[in-house]
Amino acid sequence: MRPREETISVGGVGVHTWIGGQGDALLVLHGAGGNRGWTRWLAQVAERFTVWAPTHPGFGRSGDADWMDGIDDLARFHLWFIDAAGLGRPHLVGHSIGGWTAAEMATMSPGSIDRLVLVAPVGLKPEKGEILDVFYYSPPQLLTMTVHDPKTVPEWDELYGRAPTPAEVEIATRNREMAARLTWKPYMHNPRLAHFLPRVTNPTLIVWGREDRVVPVECGEQYRRLLPNADLTVLERCGHLPPVEQPEIFARLVLDFLGGHNRR
Amino acid sequence: MKLYYFSEMPHHEFPDEEGDKYPSLRLEFPNRFFDREKAAANYQRYLTEYEFADQAGFDGLMINEHHSTPSCVNVGVNMTAAILARTTRRAKILLLGNILPIEDNPVRMAEQLAMADLISGGRVLSGFVRGVGVETWWSNTNPVHNRERFEECHDLILKCWTEPGPFRWEGRHYHFRHVNPWCLPLQKPHPPIWIPGTASPETAVWAGRRGYTYVPFLVPSEIARELFDYYRQGAAEVGRTVTAENLGFLICAVTAETKAKALEAGRHFVWRMGPTLRAPTEYFAPVGMRSRAGAQFALRARPRSLATLSYQELLDGQFIVAGTPDEVIDRFSRIQRELGVGHLLLEAQESRMDHPTTMRSIELMGAKVIPAVAAL
Repeated sequence: MRPREETISVGGVGVHTWIGGQGDALLVLHGAGGNRGWTRWLAQVAERFTVWAPTHPGFGRSGDADWMDGIDDLARFHLWFIDAAGLGRPHLVGHSIGGWTAAEMATMSPGSIDRLVLVAPVGLKPEKGEILDVFYYSPPQLLTMTVHDPKTVPEWDELYGRAPTPAEVEIATRNREMAARLTWKPYMHNPRLAHFLPRVTNPTLIVWGREDRVVPVECGEQYRRLLPNADLTVLERCGHLPPVEQPEIFARLVLDFLGGHNRR
Repeated sequence: MKLYYFSEMPHHEFPDEEGDKYPSLRLEFPNRFFDREKAAANYQRYLTEYEFADQAGFDGLMINEHHSTPSCVNVGVNMTAAILARTTRRAKILLLGNILPIEDNPVRMAEQLAMADLISGGRVLSGFVRGVGVETWWSNTNPVHNRERFEECHDLILKCWTEPGPFRWEGRHYHFRHVNPWCLPLQKPHPPIWIPGTASPETAVWAGRRGYTYVPFLVPSEIARELFDYYRQGAAEVGRTVTAENLGFLICAVTAETKAKALEAGRHFVWRMGPTLRAPTEYFAPVGMRSRAGAQFALRARPRSLATLSYQELLDGQFIVAGTPDEVIDRFSRIQRELGVGHLLLEAQESRMDHPTTMRSIELMGAKVIPAVAAL
């Protein structure tokens, strides 16, 4: 089934959303790089779930939200999105800052979501190492630091293979500005989050790339320790973008964890 | 036309090949190359030069502030203003300026500027700047908020100076419940406000609306004229008349008895155009700091960065003026005619330009150049 695109109004902000698939609702929150659209892993997961992949306010083709100051604002916003879109109690997958957002949502309202998948989420201050200062590097430099090995990324050509159009450059700049707005200080983390994570008893899968150069893999262990019902899976030869770097393996992990429409 | 003396108080006290190993002298060049003894001596030297510029007849002494860079180790423009307020007698003290977006306490800023104005006998010209990206990194201020914080910080400082306290301030970025500064400037209603410009049309319009003195820094004269047009546009919106008093321009300049000596000295300015501006884009213009219009104008204003221009090109483009007093007078007169400015700010010492050369240039400016251009 082909996915469709809709703009869903939440609190006066138009949220550009990819929707597709069949089965229980699965909400997918993207990272700082923006919504990459209907990529391979989403198509695979959509065989068993109805995927809702909204673009955060201030990103891509969604409306502005200059009034937002941090990821907690984005988390409250996406809890509202769940209501506005009528998703009931969806499963939630979040990557990078989307993972941080998902974690914040779960601490705010654990009953609003079913199972939780956190993919290389920022949000915690690393006990060892540092989160890469992504705003200090140019987008091309960043791209090479984000993935382990471009040659192994199946969708590399589709996603990054050609020079961006002016409209795409404009969207990339807008994405980066909104990401800066939300995560500048404290940089990419919430010092209070660790105190709230123990509230989240939802079954949680944490996925990390062993070679993640953006967020230290040790942060995965921190999340696992703080969340009462979480498992951590570390993918070898994988950087900060597991859903793009290893789409088949990643989709399989998610499907196995969520179980599909027969699971109760 | 009034002349102003300016030194960035550089700390060029390290082997250049060490600096070349890093992506930039700003932010990344390790401070183990900071030489404490030489810095202590240099501060004395630079302050002596400022004091001599006051005695020699300069209309103003311009000071600025940067951080995390050897190109400028004046790390506190209000501190320097406080010193010069006591050790100089006549010249205006032009702070150009305080970097408002990175300031967390505009009330303290208002108090410190007021105190400097009081001590100096009302000689403060209070410049406010948005700063370059480097200071945004240094202070870890969100660049996306740069313009909003600049304007709100400015508004609160002005309110401190012009409206009786106590009052409350609950803004977007600043929050104070009890504002009642017991230190107000001598000048009424407040010290004149100056605004520099490099590439932002919005800033020029904003300054024009308020009638602040507007000074483009080191841009080609056609770009300066364009920025002045934006300034006039802002002034026209509120029915303000623009005079030469409202407009300034900044260049590098040195003079000596002979052209050869001046050209030799002028070479030191190349360091501030080249190595000290070398950096990845993100250091100077982090995401969100400039509006799209500002970023596009910046590209046009600097089709080639200053860092890529040769000494001769910098001389030809009038970014640097170096010559005998007569030659310098001729150049300054031409700038005045081309731009119609009332203030010419001279970055008059740089890099390893030595103390005797600097003092001699100040002396000749005072004896010959300043009287000659005063009538322009």
